[in-house]
Amino acid sequence: MKIKTTRFGELEVNPTDIITFSEGLLGFEHLKKYFVVDPGDSTLILWLQSTEEEKVAFPIIEPKIFKPDYIAKLLPADLNGLELNSLNSAKLYSILTIPANVTEMSANLKAPIVINSAAKVGKQIVLQDSKLSVKHEMYRELKTYIVNFSSDDAKRTNISSSIALEGEMKTNNRPAINETRNLEA
Amino acid sequence: MLVLTRKLGESIAIDDNIKIVVVQIKGKQVRLGIKAPKETKIHREEVYQAIQDQNTEAVQASMSDIARLGEELKKK
Repeated sequence: MKIKTTRFGELEVNPTDIITFSEGLLGFEHLKKYFVVDPGDSTLILWLQSTEEEKVAFPIIEPKIFKPDYIAKLLPADLNGLELNSLNSAKLYSILTIPANVTEMSANLKAPIVINSAAKVGKQIVLQDSKLSVKHEMYRELKTYIVNFSSDDAKRTNISSSIALEGEMKTNNRPAINETRNLEA
Repeated sequence: MLVLTRKLGESIAIDDNIKIVVVQIKGKQVRLGIKAPKETKIHREEVYQAIQDQNTEAVQASMSDIARLGEELKKK
């Protein structure tokens, strides 16, 4: 099927490559269908392109590239709608914000995009970890990676390893059901 | 919206498994304790707003921004 996009012109997209975000993305709840565009450029940035609105495309990147120790700890509830039987078929991406001064680019580590590439469903998941930033500046780290490593796909890091299911974690310090969780300003 | 008045130490039950306790009241700040099943997602409202703002900003990126970024990243 042909899909019009503002950035990439008209693209021929295989219907099986279309990913359904049944809840949409925050602020874009009305858009449910996306596909991933890899322009194959040196920045390693991919795009999550809407099929329904041609100008809506989110620049995304695999967070392991600039933050090797990043782990998205998912709650069982996060898996609802993702149809994930195993985390091996999950792909993890951070949405990037690229301002006029590109060196101030940032990644949203707090709410990554998780895609079940087998079932073709995706979800933007708000992680519980309060230390994660929605605006993590990572230009330096990205540059270091690009200078040191080839952009060859084969050398990309193993993404599935950066997702963990809460409860299966060895260092599970999450409070049990009857403990009190405090939310303070 | 349902509005309830609670004193320090009192709580509100939501369903059978969620409890919200007023832990501390200090000037204009209220500290709440929340007892909920593990799978319940609890966030400050501002978190959602911040993510929404980030998403809105992210879709502004153009191919020329990426081209400039690509050039910048290549520089030694």
